[in-house]
Amino acid sequence: MSIFSNKSEKIFIYLFFVIGLFIPLFLEGNTFYINKLSTIIILAIFVMSLDYLVGRTGLITLGHAMFYGLGGYIFTILAPEYEAVNFWIYTFYVMLISGFIALIVGLIVLRTSGIYMIMITLALAQMTFYFFADSVEYGGQDGLFIYVKPETSIFGLSFLDLENETHFYYLCLLSLFNCFAFFKVIMNSSFGRVVDALKENPDRATALGYNIFHFRLIAYVLASSLAAYAGYLFALQFGFVNPGMMSWDISATALVMALMGGLGSIYGAIIGSFVYEGLHYYIEHLTEYWMFFMGSLIIILVLTLKKGFAGFLNDLSGGKGNE
Amino acid sequence: MSNTILEAENLCKFWGGLKALNELNIKFADKQLHSIVGPNGAGKSTLLNTLCGAYPATSGVILYQGKSITNLKAYEFCRAGIGRSFQKTNIFHDATCLENCCIAAQQRIGGSFNLFRNRSTNKSITEIANSALKQVGLNGRADTKAAEVSYGEQRQLEIAMVLATDPKVLLLDEPMAGMGHEESQIIISLLKELKKHYCIVLVEHDMDAVFELSDLMTVMVDGQHLITDTVENIRNNPLVQDAYLGNDDEVF
Repeated sequence: MSIFSNKSEKIFIYLFFVIGLFIPLFLEGNTFYINKLSTIIILAIFVMSLDYLVGRTGLITLGHAMFYGLGGYIFTILAPEYEAVNFWIYTFYVMLISGFIALIVGLIVLRTSGIYMIMITLALAQMTFYFFADSVEYGGQDGLFIYVKPETSIFGLSFLDLENETHFYYLCLLSLFNCFAFFKVIMNSSFGRVVDALKENPDRATALGYNIFHFRLIAYVLASSLAAYAGYLFALQFGFVNPGMMSWDISATALVMALMGGLGSIYGAIIGSFVYEGLHYYIEHLTEYWMFFMGSLIIILVLTLKKGFAGFLNDLSGGKGNE
Repeated sequence: MSNTILEAENLCKFWGGLKALNELNIKFADKQLHSIVGPNGAGKSTLLNTLCGAYPATSGVILYQGKSITNLKAYEFCRAGIGRSFQKTNIFHDATCLENCCIAAQQRIGGSFNLFRNRSTNKSITEIANSALKQVGLNGRADTKAAEVSYGEQRQLEIAMVLATDPKVLLLDEPMAGMGHEESQIIISLLKELKKHYCIVLVEHDMDAVFELSDLMTVMVDGQHLITDTVENIRNNPLVQDAYLGNDDEVF
């Protein structure tokens, strides 16, 4: 059984990662574009984790950016200020701690669903936002700086220098690939089978003997700690964290990107992030009323492409797929 | 009554002031088809939903194989061995018929928390699912999407999914609802076969089917147990005729 759900997904993933691998060769020295691409790839990881949550498990959250921000804060607070720490070890810490926080938050928010879950996730995210925005210890509105970037050695061997933009870009690309592969594996797993079922019909899944709360909780923890990982990468790229990372409009924008890409398609998250950020960048340079045009374009896109770009590509390739 | 498997004692379910089930006592025996009939609003569906744990009982006890299961959570009823089908077709439309049964079978086999094992590699799940489809006569439809099979076949699939969970008791809520005569005949012969192996509690409006299939019948009126007897005795009982047709004193 193929890991891909349809032909267009397969083609897109091959094309994207091959182009992604070679594009720095053509942008030699142009650190602006390399950085821009890294940022969008980090965003794509974040959007992918949200897409899994909303599109695959049917849990709609407006507080996902909370974990994005927490990922950055956890690293900055934990790591010693003037000493390079190991990237991989701190990846583990960040994901473990954010996963634990997600477990606690999940125990609360997953008791609700639908509009109530949207409200309660939003409320919790805003609480966290104001906690960091008002805290003197964590830098208030200005946030915290990361003075020394981590080193990436494994058993004394180091391949990546995070100060180098191209190296950092490859780290992001690898992370996106791993993230995509991880989601595809769990979607095709026995666990994924139950998640598919409870998304379509939670009552029936319960009647078949599944405690759907447990499955939702696991999905929530997984998606949240991956969002935290994306926030961690973002913090490393820019060398600071601030409460703005967890403001609610980041969650909402990510939701728009997931929608544009095609909810639940996972790879659509990559398309959604690139299209959104690409349009944003392009229109921003044309006019200062970019938000007006951006908004109109999004409305048109969402109305014309009901299943997002992923659905559109699938129709183009004439494949039925099994979604 | 011989070998009672499921039993309700003084079972009550109130919706605010409405007494949907009022002090109901009823016993279901193994390997029998016990149907529950009554006019609309008599509480038949509420009884099924309470027996399968979907609605928690207001008071009273549900005994399964002699043990109280009243306080189990909704999902634990299925694990105990009480399977139910739904009045409205309640299947996973996007999945194939086989996959629908796999979802049911996986609960019993386990491994549902395995994030990394590919779902199609567990052969025992597929085997159970296939045999459940075969039991209801849908083996030819295994790879067809559930949304694409006929309405009658969806109702059969509904039963197959329950069978795949390996129940001892089948609670069937109007399995023949909305079916034509020929489709009903398929379900009737299916139920005749199934009642040799399972305790079946049937709620059904198709009276011909009920009379043909039932070993025992219970008539319910206004949330209360009116009478439980064999088909022959029920047919000629004046109380039942009153319940269905109304007696002369009633003001309309």
